Amino acid sequence: MSAASPRLLEVDLEVDRRQVSVEACFSLEAGDRLAIFGTSGAGKTTILESIAGLTHLRRGTIRVEGHLVAGKVKGEPVLEPRHRQVALVRQPTTLFPHLTVEQNVGYGVRQSSARRRVAELLERLGLTVLARARGATLSGGQRQRVALGRALASSFRVLLLDEPLSAVDVAAREALRLLTIETSVARGAAGILVTHDLTEAQAYSDRIGIIDSGQLLQVGGSLEVVLSPTSRRVAELVGYGGFVRSQAGADRWHAIHPDRVLPSALPERGVVLTGSVLSTRPYGARYECTVADRSGEQFTIHLDEPLEVGVECTVTAIDPPLVGA
Amino acid sequence: MRTTAPAGNLASTGVVPGFPATGRVAARASTYLALAAALVIWLALLGPFAVLIQHLSFHSIRAALGPPGALGPLWISLGASAIALGAMMLFGTPLAYLLARGRLPLARLVELGIMLPLMMPPLVIGLLLIFLIGPEGTLGNLLADIHLTGVNTFFALVVAEFYEAAPFFVLGAYAAFASVDPRIEQDATLLGDRPLQAFWRITLPLAAPGLATGLATAWARAMGAFGAVIIVAYYPRGLPNQIFIAFQEYGLTGALPFALLLVVAALPLPVLAYLWSARNRARVAGVEAP
Repeated sequence: MSAASPRLLEVDLEVDRRQVSVEACFSLEAGDRLAIFGTSGAGKTTILESIAGLTHLRRGTIRVEGHLVAGKVKGEPVLEPRHRQVALVRQPTTLFPHLTVEQNVGYGVRQSSARRRVAELLERLGLTVLARARGATLSGGQRQRVALGRALASSFRVLLLDEPLSAVDVAAREALRLLTIETSVARGAAGILVTHDLTEAQAYSDRIGIIDSGQLLQVGGSLEVVLSPTSRRVAELVGYGGFVRSQAGADRWHAIHPDRVLPSALPERGVVLTGSVLSTRPYGARYECTVADRSGEQFTIHLDEPLEVGVECTVTAIDPPLVGA
Repeated sequence: MRTTAPAGNLASTGVVPGFPATGRVAARASTYLALAAALVIWLALLGPFAVLIQHLSFHSIRAALGPPGALGPLWISLGASAIALGAMMLFGTPLAYLLARGRLPLARLVELGIMLPLMMPPLVIGLLLIFLIGPEGTLGNLLADIHLTGVNTFFALVVAEFYEAAPFFVLGAYAAFASVDPRIEQDATLLGDRPLQAFWRITLPLAAPGLATGLATAWARAMGAFGAVIIVAYYPRGLPNQIFIAFQEYGLTGALPFALLLVVAALPLPVLAYLWSARNRARVAGVEAP
């Protein structure tokens, strides 16, 4: 029986940073897209830089198509960054300031036959009119487009994206996201996006890893990590606005997501909560209210109609997940 | 009904929102003071050049530089400075790059070593060079084995100029390389460049304006090197020595034509390097060149 073929990317790493040690273990197949979501300083960028070969591992290994690219294994040579088939878009964006937009995008293109790819990318990125402009003259959003184009034009099997669209207009993000996914799929590549924007993570990826203080706390489907957080910290990070004690056990809590609340008592849909309204404020086109239940636990909810401060209200939290203390 | 005053009204009254009248007067006064200070400094720095032109006559220039062999010191200075500059680029560029990237152990000590010749009086450097590369020194003995003499030779002139000028190039190159974000180099290697390719394609063009400035300063220093030179290389006679000797023998009028020659020979490269450097800095920074 032949040995199983290696996965496209296998990561098992431990890296020392100034304040925290970053640990992560996951693997990706061709076509997979993983988003790593967490707060600033959680260690997201460190994971990308380790895969790209810009940071040394304290322990562990990273393999691309079975080839060791980082870590120490006797008898196996480690690949230099230029041989790893990894493309990286960094934050803050780094361009070659003395080169034109076209030269930036085409920098990693070695074959003349691939030059057409550069022209196509410039067009799809909306950069054709800026092709002769130098990197240093561009706005933040334009710089990010060029950096994305430069990565997409190169030969890669693993695409690493560090907040690649943070300065791009919201209206243009969807097209760029689609271009990124299309290119990635066409190359049979895997992609990793790191972001502190959950909706951006969900829009790009099919799986999300939640990272906090250097630890990858949970990896799961892009909706699964929101609907079924495995710990209170994960629930906090993915947007749960409060916790109320559950009847299930002393240390079990219902996590209340502000957007998963109905303004009436519907026990068949979830857990009915009663409490007094502490505050009400506008929240986009809706209202955000903070409510305290009878035991004093506070939670936040988003509703279409405002609740008057001081009144008692009853709402239903739709299937609230149970988490530990 | 209250309406907002049109912008034209504000302009016609001379009122600039956010700037009280006293503040505007103070701002204008400080601008004029700064301009006056700049003019004084500029005139003070250019003063010697103006005096040089004023006190030269065509007759004195022809008398000093006309005789056969009068331009010999110029060719000697140009040759020695060019070789010294080549040596600085060859050895100083890698040193400056490694320092800028923090890849040298005891970097502070290395920096101090580079700055030491700057801090020492050139005359003292000359004296110490005699001990180092003169016939009595250990290094001098080794040099003798390859038929090089460290005193009163063209080689000695090159070494003395090197010691006086090299720190200016190395420190300039260090600053130039340090100004290039190492993450940009990393990007180039991730896009398939070998480290040396990334250096040629990315680091060197970005550091070039700073390197040019360092090189120009070092050139001017090498051409004008005198303190160490007069101790270890009285002969062959370079231009600074020639100026000194002419001054001693014929006074000011005899020395000024050679001073003009030195200025004319030494300045074009720094001026061109400065102009090129300013143009390229502007290009990389994304603004139009002046």
